[in-house]
Amino acid sequence: MNDLWNNLNGSPNIQDDGEIGVVTQGSLTEGVEMKLNPDRSVEDVKAGKFVVIEGYKNQFFSMITDLSLDATNPEILLYPPREGDQLLHSVLNGASTYVTVALRPMLMLEQGEEIVDEPRPVKTIPSHFSKVVEAEEEDVSRVFGSEEKDDRFFNMGTPLDMDTPVCINLNRFVERSNGIFGKTGTGKSFLTRLVLCGLIKNKKAVNLIFDMHNEYGFRAMKEGGQGNSFVKGLKQLFGNQVALFSLDPESSRQRGIQPDHEVYITYDQVAVEDVIALQDELQLNPTASESAYLVYAMYKDRWLRQLLSIDGPDVEQFADDIGANKSSLSALHRKLKRLETFPFMVNSLNGADAVDTMMDYIDRGIHIVLEFGRQTGMLAYLLVANILSRRIHEQYVTKSEKFYASQNPEDQPRHLVITIEEAHKFLNPATARQTIFGTIAREMRKYYVSLLVVDQRPSGIDEEVLSQLGTKITALLNDEKDIQGVLTGVSNASGLRSVLASLDSKQQALVFGHAVPMPVVIKTRDYDEIFYKAMGDLSDEEKMEKAEAASAAIFGD
Amino acid sequence: MALSSIDISTEYIGEIVESSTSQFTSESRELNGAPPFGSFVKTLGALPVYGLVFNVCTHSIEPNRRATAYGLTEQELREEQPQIFELLKTEFEAVIIGYGDDRGPQQVLPPQPPGIHSFVFPCTESEIKALTNSGDFLRSILCGNRLPADDLIIASVRNAWAARALDMPYLVSIGKDLCRLIRDDYDRLSSIMRRISQ
Repeated sequence: MNDLWNNLNGSPNIQDDGEIGVVTQGSLTEGVEMKLNPDRSVEDVKAGKFVVIEGYKNQFFSMITDLSLDATNPEILLYPPREGDQLLHSVLNGASTYVTVALRPMLMLEQGEEIVDEPRPVKTIPSHFSKVVEAEEEDVSRVFGSEEKDDRFFNMGTPLDMDTPVCINLNRFVERSNGIFGKTGTGKSFLTRLVLCGLIKNKKAVNLIFDMHNEYGFRAMKEGGQGNSFVKGLKQLFGNQVALFSLDPESSRQRGIQPDHEVYITYDQVAVEDVIALQDELQLNPTASESAYLVYAMYKDRWLRQLLSIDGPDVEQFADDIGANKSSLSALHRKLKRLETFPFMVNSLNGADAVDTMMDYIDRGIHIVLEFGRQTGMLAYLLVANILSRRIHEQYVTKSEKFYASQNPEDQPRHLVITIEEAHKFLNPATARQTIFGTIAREMRKYYVSLLVVDQRPSGIDEEVLSQLGTKITALLNDEKDIQGVLTGVSNASGLRSVLASLDSKQQALVFGHAVPMPVVIKTRDYDEIFYKAMGDLSDEEKMEKAEAASAAIFGD
Repeated sequence: MALSSIDISTEYIGEIVESSTSQFTSESRELNGAPPFGSFVKTLGALPVYGLVFNVCTHSIEPNRRATAYGLTEQELREEQPQIFELLKTEFEAVIIGYGDDRGPQQVLPPQPPGIHSFVFPCTESEIKALTNSGDFLRSILCGNRLPADDLIIASVRNAWAARALDMPYLVSIGKDLCRLIRDDYDRLSSIMRRISQ
């Protein structure tokens, strides 16, 4: 008998034509249900997998969102077949006990049709017993495009269990602000670096990266790596297309990096809005902004320098002079004193203003990574990011308006993408309305500036901002609130919820939104030598060869 | 199968004595020589008719007389009272599960019942395979009157399975058909499947 069973299990008379089941029921709002073919093991079917429903007229590109075990007769569940009873097991499998797979059609294409520009949303469902097949390589490139076709497309990784690249459309990506989310340690920084590489390589936008943990500019630690556990940063990959700015040049030098510029900020460059954005970090009272504006009304740009120059008991006198509440102003004074501890805060600049230099680089299409060195405190990060972004944004508004007036293509500003980490600090419901980042996220690309928001706690971000994010790339999230937050503004989010919670903790991400025709789970591209090469980086030997060839060309052999 | 390929005089196992569209009764050629319960048989005529043996009985040739108990073994009886065996006959009943036409065996009832006095033969292995390639013959069993359905299913499926050299995937697919036909009666299904594979 055992031989017979081996025969049965070893060489099933199944033609593997990729069919995994047939559609049995469903609805447009709730998604479609499929009965899994009995010859398929449920364990091979994973949530997030990309499948195609072959309808009569249309193909429905769908994602597996849920799996369930069902039985027609509850008695089977009460008295399951005995362990050795393989015959009964096999007989019941697919007949009385079966697997139902929930599918969410995401995109609909007529048989043979190509995606032109705007993907068509699903407006109908496939008929009964439509065949469901595993997506093939060509299906993936048909839906997501391919790098060979066009420089709009950038390879982000592959769908689960497949090798064809899934591309995001970078043109659409830069049209909106975007978000990269994920629990800590799930590879947010890698995803961000990947996206930034795409933007830089295909020249779709200029990037300004507020690099809080010094991991984008010049080599970064690779988590869990063995041996060679450092990966290349943007500066190494793209050379002089990327400029390294540093708030803490000493730290940069200690890490063996020579920054292109050092950034200093004068007290006069700090606006009242910048201080209000620090409300949480400095634990400012609600009246602090009123007091600050009173000082500002008197001293204009010099308000902060003026306020900090007063000491102890004089503050109360000062409050009297400007008509502010004494205790409120002295609290503000006390708390703002902390700013004096930052080495990058100076009374006057020696060289050029950092913002002017940055704008100069941006105009030339050079990307900027601002390293914070040892200034990893949230206060410094918030302060600097706010001040610089606000001022750059101001300049962009002027430039855009000039362009709108002249309509001269030469005046058109370059598209700028600002990358911020720990975004919930800037964009939480309390401050999103006041800080510059809230404004940028909402007004989108009107002024050619958009955000790339990197965060591990999306539930902390203002809902209005979240719903305006165009493309979201999300690694694993566990917290129910965070999942809910990421899916804000997404229709039919229920299916994606289970997919999101079941991602692997490494190298897997769900991509959905403006830049992809349909949500898809990807295994992210490896950030390795092959990737470096694709980005145009040369290995050491090749660099030597190139240098020798160049010197030969100049000096002769 | 062509009539000429069979030696009618030697290979038949019974002769039809009662016939209807759904069942027929044959008298066995030899006393106690009926085909086994659950075996596939056929009659040869203009259209061959296929049946499944579901009842075998041996009794007196006189309807009004019964055999009497003698208290002897069969061997002793044959030596002392050989004539009494001439007064007994064996009959078997079969439920009709299909007929044959030029396309081969069809799993539907024949247009005409098999003729009285037609000879009955055992089915060949290829005929058994053709008759049992789907679970439709199980439906004939389950829908028939006064049939010992479960036991007949067990016996006939065992024969069909044996004709396929105990091929497991076949047994599984028949099990799935049966499961549907008995409307997910789990107890019945598990009992039948267990007894088939014993």
